[in-house]
Amino acid sequence: MIGRVRVLIVEDDAALASGIARILEGEGHAVDVMAKGEQAVLGARQERFDLIILDVGLPGIDGFEVLRRLRAAGDRTPVLVLTARDALDDRVHGLDLGADDYMAKPFAMPELAARVRALVRRSQAQTGPKIVHGPLVLDTLARRATLNGAPLDLAAREWAVLEVLLARVEKIVSKEAIIQAVASWGEELTPNAIEVYVSRLRAKLDGAGIKIRTVRGFGYMLEEYREVGAEGAPAGS
Amino acid sequence: MTTRRTLRSHLLRLLLPPVAVLLVLGTVGAYYLALDPANEAYDQALIDVAIALGERIRGDDGKLAFDLPGAAEQVLRTDRYDTIYYLVRNPDGSRLAGDSGLPPPPHGAEPEDGVIAYDGLYHEQALRLVALLVPCGGRICTVQVAETTKKRRALASDIALAGVVPSAVITLLLLGLVWFGVKRGLTPLEDLSREIRARSARDLQPIDPARAPEEALPLVAALNQLFGRVGEASANQQRFLANAAHQLRTPLAGLQAHTELALSHDPPAEQRAQLEQLRTATIRTARLANQLLALARAEPGGARADAVATVNLRSVVEDAADEWVHRAMAKEIDLGFELADAPVAGDALLLREALGNLIHNALEYSPPGARVTVRTGVRNQHPFLEVEDDGPGIPPAERERVLERFYRMAGTAGTGSGLGLSIVREIAVAHRAEIEIGAGEAGRGCRLGLTFPHG
Repeated sequence: MIGRVRVLIVEDDAALASGIARILEGEGHAVDVMAKGEQAVLGARQERFDLIILDVGLPGIDGFEVLRRLRAAGDRTPVLVLTARDALDDRVHGLDLGADDYMAKPFAMPELAARVRALVRRSQAQTGPKIVHGPLVLDTLARRATLNGAPLDLAAREWAVLEVLLARVEKIVSKEAIIQAVASWGEELTPNAIEVYVSRLRAKLDGAGIKIRTVRGFGYMLEEYREVGAEGAPAGS
Repeated sequence: MTTRRTLRSHLLRLLLPPVAVLLVLGTVGAYYLALDPANEAYDQALIDVAIALGERIRGDDGKLAFDLPGAAEQVLRTDRYDTIYYLVRNPDGSRLAGDSGLPPPPHGAEPEDGVIAYDGLYHEQALRLVALLVPCGGRICTVQVAETTKKRRALASDIALAGVVPSAVITLLLLGLVWFGVKRGLTPLEDLSREIRARSARDLQPIDPARAPEEALPLVAALNQLFGRVGEASANQQRFLANAAHQLRTPLAGLQAHTELALSHDPPAEQRAQLEQLRTATIRTARLANQLLALARAEPGGARADAVATVNLRSVVEDAADEWVHRAMAKEIDLGFELADAPVAGDALLLREALGNLIHNALEYSPPGARVTVRTGVRNQHPFLEVEDDGPGIPPAERERVLERFYRMAGTAGTGSGLGLSIVREIAVAHRAEIEIGAGEAGRGCRLGLTFPHG
């Protein structure tokens, strides 16, 4: 459950900006729209936003320059870059400059909404001790987990695997990445072992509607939590 | 190949006739030049004989006599090769002794040291003669000695031949040198052609003039100028396309945003259907814009030669997996991976585009519940990338045609533009990769793959 957040949209195309704004407002967020890069740099300095959605192709200073100036000023606000240019080049450039995520135009609104939720969740998880995913709450300080309010018993390895998946909801996490994150130094973990932990986690979480999907030959993906009977509705709103 | 003349054979054809004529003329000339020294040497022998004969003339009381013993005459006339004749004439020219009828010296010939040497005919044989003027009884007698020219001709031939053989050998060596020299001289040109042949159509880098021979510099300069112009033209085209695609994508994103926004407000069923149509059309238009751009980029002169690097196909798939897994999930298709390292020299952006089109194609034509598998690796030393599905497959007769632009198989339900696979083909061509279309495992479904050149 992510709360109401403040989002700054920096996009010079009025139709697209208003479309994104209305979708995010529909999710309960407070939205500001700016059309110019200079304006955005000033705005972000004066007020605190939880997320900035930044178009690359702005008149005046472009989105990359805005991002560079924000990061140079020590602003760590999560930034989702939008670009209409060739996907790969801009993505690499944007991520190098410190963007947190990237989307190529045009995009589906539900996907944008999901990315916004993931970014906000991630930045909140970094600041707070609790990771919340639908009915599942992981208290990383007390190392206690609850499911629908009831204590959930997780072995250390299960906890570690779940934490990796929770950090990247809706993203595929390769088995190798999980092994790297879970194995202690000098320890050998096989992909088979990861499969065992994941199947145990599934046994514990599946009943509560938390789904870990297998991506054949690649790894796993923790699906976004959807409340039963509210298919398609955004979680956490 | 046409029967175009090579520079070498052209040069040889040009050189061979005059060299042959010169060789023949030289030989003939040497023969005649050699006759003079041969004559001089043998003439001296004849003169010696004439002097000896002259001493045999006795001139007592006005009556001249010639006294040559038979044995001496025998010795005189003996020669291994030639026949020797002599004639001693009285001052009045009448015969005193010897063979009558020897031709007299030509009129007006000036004696040199009392000797006239000349050529003549006797009994239809060519003769060399000397006439010696000898004092006899207060007057002048003439002693003529002659011999046939057999040994003289033999000597001249020997001298001429001795000259001909080395000249012929030298000539042959010279022609050989021309043959190999031209080949060797043209080696830099051949290297140059090989370098240009080996280029991909996308490589418009100028040729380094330092590596071309001096004579080829104008050609290299002209080629570089052409490369430059082609590169500039294609860069302009790329800029235009990138701008066009950019300008299209933003309003399309706005259109899609508002359509989806309207859809999220629970519109009445009839409007919902219309909005869905609008949304589908928007997505297709956006995809088409992307594909046209990709196609232009993949074409020769796409001017992305600078983007060529070693690319691991496995990483290309891993980077794009997320996006495609979500799309597969939306269609309830099981998208899986069998990935091994597969390094190729290529353009990561284009390879990603090719992969995207292959996966898109498989997802588009596979029913819910289908399995789609993406594979990378190295097979028989060739890196490969393939996407296999267990959908309806492509009949063998259609396999070539699906690679054509805008071709869509009859009876297919997909919303594709028919450009996807032709983009894959263009990208394959740009990477010198083979494109294969076959049936999937157990003969079901479709397997589309790219096999890249070794190394």
